[in-house]
Amino acid sequence: MSTNLRVTRRQVLAGSAVSAAALASGFPAPAIANSDPIPVGYLPALTGPSSSTGVGINRGIQLAVQEINAAGGIGGRQLELITRDTQSDPTKAVNGAAELTHGQKVSVVFGPVNSGESLAVVPLLARANTPQIHPCWVDTLTDPKKYPMCFRNAPTNQQIGGAAHRYVVEVLKRKKVAVISDTTGYGTASVNAYVPMLKATGAEVVYQGNVDAANPDLKPELLRMQSAGAEAIMPWSVNAGFLSRIINTRGQMGWDVPIVGQTTLGSGQTKALLEKPEYWAKVYPNNFRPVCYAAGGKLSDRTSAFVDRLKSAKIDMGDTLLWWIALGYDSPRMIAEAMKNVGTEPEQIVGYLNKLKEFPGVYGDIAFTADKHDGYPDNEVVMVEANSLKDGAFNLAPGYGA
Amino acid sequence: MDMEATPSRLSRPNATGSASPSGAALPFLALLLLGILFPLFGGGYWGVIATRACVYWVLVSGLNLVVGFGGQIAIGWVALLTLGAYTTSVLVAGNVTPALPPYLALAIAAVVGAIFGLIVGLPALRLRTFYFAITTLGFATIVTQVALAWQSVTGGGVGVAGPIFPEPFASQWGFYYFCFGLAAICTWMTANVAASRFGRALTAIRDAEVAAEASGIAKPALLATVFLFSGAVAAVAGGLFAALQSYITPDAFTLDLSILFFIAILIGGRGSILGPLLGTILLTVLPEFAAPLVAWSTFLYAVLLLVIVLVIPGGIAEILDFRNRRPLESDRAIIPRPELLEPLLNAPPNAGALTLERVDLSFGGVRAIDGLDLEIHPGQVHGLIGPNGSGKTTTLNVISGYYAQQRGAIRLNGAVLPPFVRHVRANMRIARTFQTPRIVGSASVLENVMIGGTIDGKGTFVESLLSLPRHRRDETMLRDTAMLALAAVGLERLAAVRADRLQHSELRFTEIARALMLRPAFLLLDEPAAGLSAEEIERLGALILAIARAGTGVLVVEHHPDLIFDICHRVTVLNLGRILAAGTPAEIRAHREVVNAYLGA
Amino acid sequence: MVESIVSTGLAVGCIYALIAITYNVMFSASRVFSFTAGTLGMIGGVLGSLFIARMGMPVAAGFLLALAGGAVLGIVTEIVAVRPVLKSLDQHLYVLSTLALALMIQQFTAIEWSTEPQPFPRLFDIASGFDQKFWLPMLACAAVIVGLELLYRRTLVGHAFLAIAEDNFAARALGLPERSLRMASFALAGAIGALAGFAGGEMLLAFFANAPMLTFYGFVPVALGGMGNNRGAVVAGLLLGLFQQAANFLVGGIFASVAVFTVFIIVLLARPEGLAGATLQRRV
Repeated sequence: MSTNLRVTRRQVLAGSAVSAAALASGFPAPAIANSDPIPVGYLPALTGPSSSTGVGINRGIQLAVQEINAAGGIGGRQLELITRDTQSDPTKAVNGAAELTHGQKVSVVFGPVNSGESLAVVPLLARANTPQIHPCWVDTLTDPKKYPMCFRNAPTNQQIGGAAHRYVVEVLKRKKVAVISDTTGYGTASVNAYVPMLKATGAEVVYQGNVDAANPDLKPELLRMQSAGAEAIMPWSVNAGFLSRIINTRGQMGWDVPIVGQTTLGSGQTKALLEKPEYWAKVYPNNFRPVCYAAGGKLSDRTSAFVDRLKSAKIDMGDTLLWWIALGYDSPRMIAEAMKNVGTEPEQIVGYLNKLKEFPGVYGDIAFTADKHDGYPDNEVVMVEANSLKDGAFNLAPGYGA
Repeated sequence: MDMEATPSRLSRPNATGSASPSGAALPFLALLLLGILFPLFGGGYWGVIATRACVYWVLVSGLNLVVGFGGQIAIGWVALLTLGAYTTSVLVAGNVTPALPPYLALAIAAVVGAIFGLIVGLPALRLRTFYFAITTLGFATIVTQVALAWQSVTGGGVGVAGPIFPEPFASQWGFYYFCFGLAAICTWMTANVAASRFGRALTAIRDAEVAAEASGIAKPALLATVFLFSGAVAAVAGGLFAALQSYITPDAFTLDLSILFFIAILIGGRGSILGPLLGTILLTVLPEFAAPLVAWSTFLYAVLLLVIVLVIPGGIAEILDFRNRRPLESDRAIIPRPELLEPLLNAPPNAGALTLERVDLSFGGVRAIDGLDLEIHPGQVHGLIGPNGSGKTTTLNVISGYYAQQRGAIRLNGAVLPPFVRHVRANMRIARTFQTPRIVGSASVLENVMIGGTIDGKGTFVESLLSLPRHRRDETMLRDTAMLALAAVGLERLAAVRADRLQHSELRFTEIARALMLRPAFLLLDEPAAGLSAEEIERLGALILAIARAGTGVLVVEHHPDLIFDICHRVTVLNLGRILAAGTPAEIRAHREVVNAYLGA
Repeated sequence: MVESIVSTGLAVGCIYALIAITYNVMFSASRVFSFTAGTLGMIGGVLGSLFIARMGMPVAAGFLLALAGGAVLGIVTEIVAVRPVLKSLDQHLYVLSTLALALMIQQFTAIEWSTEPQPFPRLFDIASGFDQKFWLPMLACAAVIVGLELLYRRTLVGHAFLAIAEDNFAARALGLPERSLRMASFALAGAIGALAGFAGGEMLLAFFANAPMLTFYGFVPVALGGMGNNRGAVVAGLLLGLFQQAANFLVGGIFASVAVFTVFIIVLLARPEGLAGATLQRRV
């Protein structure tokens, strides 16, 4: 793959040592020549628990940077991606953010990709006056007043939950819903946010619970849902083991009830943990319309051109999801577009993004205003059929029309 | 980072044991200087790393007293960090109370942390090592679970914003100096404790618990104090951690972090302040240099821990301890100076007699002691002899309170000695030594002897923390007395040497010196001559006689009949837990059964 | 619903009991509690998945190799983390050395195997009312109890094990090869630990994070049942499994672990020697 682009840690350190030496020797730093690479900070979680998202996104990012640089970069300057693996650990994310802003003096940061890390990093980048684009869903992670330089090129939890709720209530016509999550921060926060949302749509939440993801048996929970009269199960967790147990238990019980929820319900890892392939029927995870197969199994033109590029770059899609790669691919391109148009100064980039209209991403068209930094369009968040997974993409769930 | 601790030491003429005072302070002064000047050459990024190292050290400094000095395997101390972080953040955010100013919130967190430090730590008093280690891990898990569940207060999974300290500590470097200042204060405080009777008592509990008890050290009270302190500073570290992170969620408090704290101490070396300080810096900074290895960092910490345990149990501190690598003189002799006993023991109060009346003790079906009567008088040497298994050491252990007799009574001047409260014996001025010397190997000989005088200190733990006058007076008094005791037994030239470098015979005399620190009314010696040369036995005999002349009653359990008959005023011969014979040495020598059964032809 | 709680509770309880026996077998031979006990359980699941699901071996071969792998790790524990520190037992160095080794194995598995749970193959292609993921751990637990009983009562090696456990010094004085017996004990413990993970694989999956979980929950029955007491461990393990599943169901995931821990610590503080144990320590 494009590992040649990965800036190694040693190079990074060498760079900082040089600048430190320049500082220490007392000479004024030379004016940066126009051919110098533009440092772009990048904070993925490439290792550690729940790193599969980061790994998927990384493939797209690397490809995009490669393409941008092959096409001449930005006004002759190459994009230099400076990567700090956060290991899904907020303390390492904070260290990484400090290095990118203070040590490397990057023009802009993409990431972190996990909410727990972003919650810590967003205020720090705001203090460091560094523009940030991140794809994390937690609602409070953008706030144009508090963090005027922070943008989100992905949906919010409200949008994610909203799409799932609409599907359950309006398309599937289910009124009695069970909401379940694991005991992680993401899981508990989701249940707490979604239960009132569901009720507002007129649905009845007949069961809500946080269950330890390590709990080997979820049958009592599902029995409880069943006896409460649940007509749909909505799981919120990124833990494939936990999600597969829900699906397996439903299958063993022979309970004919749809499962609608987190995108990980459709991941290859969840699939691998299913006892029987047919258990995956009637499982509807979140996904995003531009990276889904429309009726007839076809992707949109923009997306199929992208998939062709992935294939020619020999990027594997079998073990990841297309939307992760697409999201990764769009992010540096959006940054590059801003820089091409207005330069690399933070205020210029932010000014440009504040007026961004319909940036044509593979993952979705992104638009920001000065008051709205959540750039992902509502109607692109959809539900899909889990068992239609092919090359990282899914068929739209029944009911989304042609 | 420690400046204040040194002047008090500098004024002392005597060696302190760890190193010469100015030498010991040098690394701390260098770190202090480095820390103050750091913003001049560290970039903003290294500022964050340095701040993090300071925050971690605030926690580790307190934990060091628990783990490094007290030897308690507290692995899950991240629980206290979590607690402090949430307490501070929640109080500043005003989720439960009106929003409080950050300093007040930090102070409240310290109090809460102290209380929970005690709760997390107290099982150590009741449970054995591994059990305690597991319970601390359990605490680490449930604190995060509670943070997740108690959503209205902690924000649950979404978390809560960390506090921002007002100017001048709001900026990055301002906050750095705030954390650095607290880290320096913690260094100073824990160094004060380390060099106090409390620090020595902790190491005694760690390496020689029975000796600690015999010296009157009450483990529960001491450990409880240390857990309070350690919990408080850990919670303060939590508050700083929350401010550094700017936002906290339960997933920031990983077990890996806990293991980092724990391993930093062991890499640094147990019973050291400088070592764990360097260990903390090392483990905080190392992953920043080794990005390709970042995923392996916990693995590497574990390897480091294993290597330390197996190869250099003393850690960094041992590597840096150049002084104790110099060879000792090989032909050194122990020449006691009994004339010094008079000023040392200072005529112990006449405590009446120590008596055993018809004491019975059996283990299972075996009668270890069977109707034993014994009377030990001040100023006299009483010998207890008999074949192996005749109940000699058991008798000593009953007097010391390790076993409770089933029948009969042990009285001191008529008052009953209660069983099991072993440390109370020291208050009654009953001192003892052990068959196998119980010594803190990593401490100097002088420090080992000073342990014996622990109960004579007047200052409290807090006074030692802050190096207040009473603490300094205590230390001067203990050091002077210990030097006197060492001179009396003939070991003053080895005062500054690590005790584990001593020969066996020297350890025996060290134990006697430690026992003398109590100015004992009664001294119980368990085979003091075992492993000694003929010459040394002779000097030992003279020393014991001199101790008795100074007014102390001595009970000697021995196998060497010559020594017993030379020095004892009275001798009791045991066989199978019963008295075979009792009387003056001359009577015993003439006792037919004794001669047949024990002394041989 | 009750039936489901009971069957899962008993099955999980059997896994905990097996890990507790792993602790005990190592303890009897060396007076050492090893942090690697839960790690061995985790490894049993991972190796089973590796050999059978990923490498396509027959179930029997995969099973034997997984147990062999556990036994090897048991021996490694003895050589690397226990033997070197046995002489300095009073310093509790074994807690640190076994913790280090357990962390190393766990981190290595996380990085080289996966940080996500991986599927464990279904061992028998039969459909029955009572699923194999429940009865496999129970069968394994019963087999180990019976096997150990036979070993200790009927064989010479078993008598030697008991002698070592009773009194180390006396055993050595009798000329028993103490070191070989200790190695054999650790190999046996490793195999039992791996068996726990293997039999529980369909339930717990092949997941590195099972290591700390089993280390903790496997120790609870040791502490409550009295150390070295296998019967106590089995009873306490089953009770723990049932209590945990009931708590999961009644008070929910977050509070269930708090409830288990609270009960554990209260019982332990009230009776440090366990509910069924008594110890005598000679310290002086």
